[in-house]
Amino acid sequence: MKVYIPDDSSACAAGADRVASAFEKIKEVEIVRTSSRGAFFLEPLVEVDTPQGRAGYSNVPPSQVPVLLKKTPEPISQMSFFTKQTRFTFANAGVTEPMSIEQHGFKALNKARGMDPQKILDEMKKANLRGRGGAAFPAGIKWQTTKDTASDLKYVVANADEGDPGTYSDRMILEGDPYRLIEGMAICAHAVGAKKGFVYVRSEYPAGITKLRNAIAHATEAGILEEDFFELKVFVGAGAYICGEETALLESLEGKRGMVRPKPPFPAIQGLWQKPTVINNVVTFATVPDVILRGGDWHASLGTEKSKGTIPLQLAGQVKNAGLVEVPFGVTLEEVIWGYGGGMPKGAKFKAVQVGGPLGSIFPKSLLKTKICFDEFIKVGGILGHGGIVVYDDDTNMVNLSRHFMEFTAEESCGKCTPCRIGSTRAKEILEVILAGQGTKEDLALLDELGETMKLGSLCALGGLAPMPVQTAIQYFGNEFQRK
Amino acid sequence: MPDLAPILQECRSSQPNILATLQKIQEVFGYVPRDSVPEIAHALGVTDSDVAGVLSFYHDLRTEPPGRHVIRFCLGDSCLATHCEKSLAALEKKLGCKLGGTSKDKRFTIEKVYCLGNCALSPSLMVDHDVHGRFTSGNVMSLLKDYK
Ligand SMILES: Cc1cc2nc3c(=O)[nH]c(=O)nc-3n(C[C@H](O)[C@H](O)[C@H](O)COP(=O)(O)O)c2cc1C
Ligand code: SF4
Ligand code: FES
Repeated sequence: MKVYIPDDSSACAAGADRVASAFEKIKEVEIVRTSSRGAFFLEPLVEVDTPQGRAGYSNVPPSQVPVLLKKTPEPISQMSFFTKQTRFTFANAGVTEPMSIEQHGFKALNKARGMDPQKILDEMKKANLRGRGGAAFPAGIKWQTTKDTASDLKYVVANADEGDPGTYSDRMILEGDPYRLIEGMAICAHAVGAKKGFVYVRSEYPAGITKLRNAIAHATEAGILEEDFFELKVFVGAGAYICGEETALLESLEGKRGMVRPKPPFPAIQGLWQKPTVINNVVTFATVPDVILRGGDWHASLGTEKSKGTIPLQLAGQVKNAGLVEVPFGVTLEEVIWGYGGGMPKGAKFKAVQVGGPLGSIFPKSLLKTKICFDEFIKVGGILGHGGIVVYDDDTNMVNLSRHFMEFTAEESCGKCTPCRIGSTRAKEILEVILAGQGTKEDLALLDELGETMKLGSLCALGGLAPMPVQTAIQYFGNEFQRK
Repeated sequence: MPDLAPILQECRSSQPNILATLQKIQEVFGYVPRDSVPEIAHALGVTDSDVAGVLSFYHDLRTEPPGRHVIRFCLGDSCLATHCEKSLAALEKKLGCKLGGTSKDKRFTIEKVYCLGNCALSPSLMVDHDVHGRFTSGNVMSLLKDYK
């Protein structure tokens, strides 16, 4: 009898490896290690085959293993966390074995190879797949620029720096479905005429790095990358948030300090070692195979007017059912946090939510009806970023949190622009004074002025958006910033 | 001082990568001795300041030997939301060293990290390559017992 146990690093943090070891002692059982479905609040989630498809036992402690299979499992198709989701990019999550080439199939790559490169770009443009790394630029237009730029060498680079705290969708692809990323990159290479590619992975993801390296080796051995003479390598980051910004990433890939480059020239024209370079987020690349298989029109039929397709949202912080929720754009924050996330954990009271990582605004309860799509978020003064949703409870001190955001910026600034490099430190100092209960009206005014200076005088979005969470915290929770 | 010659031999090329070279050195020796900057620069055909600049830029790169195990304690948004700071305080107290420091017995170095991608199970920390989550200030020490 087959027993499916995830080998995702979060599932293992919840005890999946220990559960697997316990199963090794049972003779009749064949253990299959799969990816995780991303319902981390249910991990370790152990599954078996039933006439109704896969069914699971959730939160299995190793001690339960000897008697587990005598109990009745719950069909996955009936679990409410999954039934309302629309899974395409994460269709394989929890289903397949990450290292199995046969289960992956590379169907989209085979199809793309039979297509004229321009036709691929036309489908991508029709799909209106906007980048999932944060800036939301249409991938098809970026690819076209690189294709149209004449050069002896072109590169395809995947941004797997996933720096925004509160996000883990890239990690799930790296560990759980690495062939999907490889396939998306290979399709891009075929379309734009690139022969070399890199995946820049943050060092915080050792399991993802190992799996991706193995997957590239298997795919190369199987001759899958050979046809286009596409050579793919992994480059490991070194713990710098700014290296998620595309030009800093390229500098880092060249082995230098991760300093942001001014744009233009855009990487699509002059990128890695000054050559035309397509750089996209992991989830963006991982969505490409579906666009090729199902067509651009299919992708454009999902979502809202200007935000097409699905978005893998990542629930984190103070939420009962934390995990990955892939849905078409257009659901509200409230639906996601309560409908999928099950609301607040026992004993915790909602205070605020932050979408889009440490550069995202702090939203109070009154903004929970906001629809999740790029334009609605801009309208209410926020960003979607990489789709991370962090919920804060009543015990959160907004001044302390604001201080943390400025400390983060001060530590992670590349240092090129004075307002970002120095302003963040000064802002942190002001917030320390306020935290001590000594803040004056003048301090708050100065903090605001500093924020405006950072917004106007910063080359990239780190300095440009870092004031947002602080300013919105003051806007919505101003009483906490008063002198005590 | 560690003998860097074999690694530097391997990393020499027409397009040397300073960061990858320093990562390689750290992988083998656990840190990059500051005094070795001129030797590295000479081997790669770049200036001392090129190497020193990269060495000081990246949080991962250390210039002091770490303890036997490295704890990377997450202070990312999701872990803050789950009040990880209490557990950090407990950990620092028990180990007798602050974030960035090494315990007296050289068993652990605690470093700060912003997110381990384990946010659904916050708070999180990583010991060497193992991710741990869902701990409290009361039980965080018990995660460390198997790391001798
Ligand atoms: C400070 C900063 C950090 C960023 N971090 C990331 C990151 O970790 N991952 C990512 O994919 N994009 C990140 N980006 C966005 C990239 O610059 C770039 O827009 C993206 O990689 C392009 O791919 P996409 O169009 O597929 O999103 C960051 C941008 C900024 C300004
Ligand atoms: S805003 Fe900050 S991180 Fe961005 S380029 Fe300027 S100094 Fe560097
Ligand atoms: S914020 Fe701590 S693991 Fe992501």
